[in-house]
Amino acid sequence: MNTYNMVKQEFIKKWITTLHMLDSSVEHPLNVTERKNAIRLSSDIAMAATRSGATIWSRALISRTRKYTTTCKPVAHRILKKARNRMKNRCTTITRNGIFGAKMRVRKRTELLKSLVPGGELIYDKDYLIRETLDYIVYLQAQVDVMRTVAAIDSVTRDLS
Amino acid sequence: MSNRRSRQSSSAPRISDDQIIDLVTKLREILPEIGQRRRSDKVSASKVLQETCNYIRNLNREVDNLSERLAQLLESVDEDSPQAAVIRSLLM
Repeated sequence: MNTYNMVKQEFIKKWITTLHMLDSSVEHPLNVTERKNAIRLSSDIAMAATRSGATIWSRALISRTRKYTTTCKPVAHRILKKARNRMKNRCTTITRNGIFGAKMRVRKRTELLKSLVPGGELIYDKDYLIRETLDYIVYLQAQVDVMRTVAAIDSVTRDLS
Repeated sequence: MSNRRSRQSSSAPRISDDQIIDLVTKLREILPEIGQRRRSDKVSASKVLQETCNYIRNLNREVDNLSERLAQLLESVDEDSPQAAVIRSLLM
């Protein structure tokens, strides 16, 4: 089993956990919008939890979602605590990227990328940003793949029943 | 890696060619559009960054749509329905 499949497997496990956690904490019945937000939230937390504390994006995503729920706090705390020590030694050297003519486009798009990757605005080192971006994309793809599969299965069984 | 970092901070502030080539190579594997469009190594950094940003935005949008779709599909699922059973068996 390759790495990508392992990522998806891990994501599924975490997603079940977060879905249950959220499910037991919200007031039923939910309308469609509330349910959608719960699904999105649980999915994002699960994706970040799959990566756990090893990346900036995963920890930024967890702390970003914290304000939307109190039930996932223990999960969030555990992940953030585990990662705090790991991050202490990470180098985030400030490199000055001067705005020299044609570099303006690159700089602008780098800023845009920083705003799209969770926690990207905290990263000053370009190497680091690129690594985080690539990592984030892999996990985003896994998230999409899994959710797509679940949605497809559900609609198929619905048609058959 | 540490060489690159010290080289970067001591020289004039610019993205090195190494970094661009590195990024493009890795992104080519992940981004379908860039890989098919050009074969040269001289894809501009800003183009790569733009494609990357678009890709991330699209993925996020898709997660949102899928959440919406799942919410609608699950709306009328009750505990004992076949859908619930299938989902449970798929996910467990």
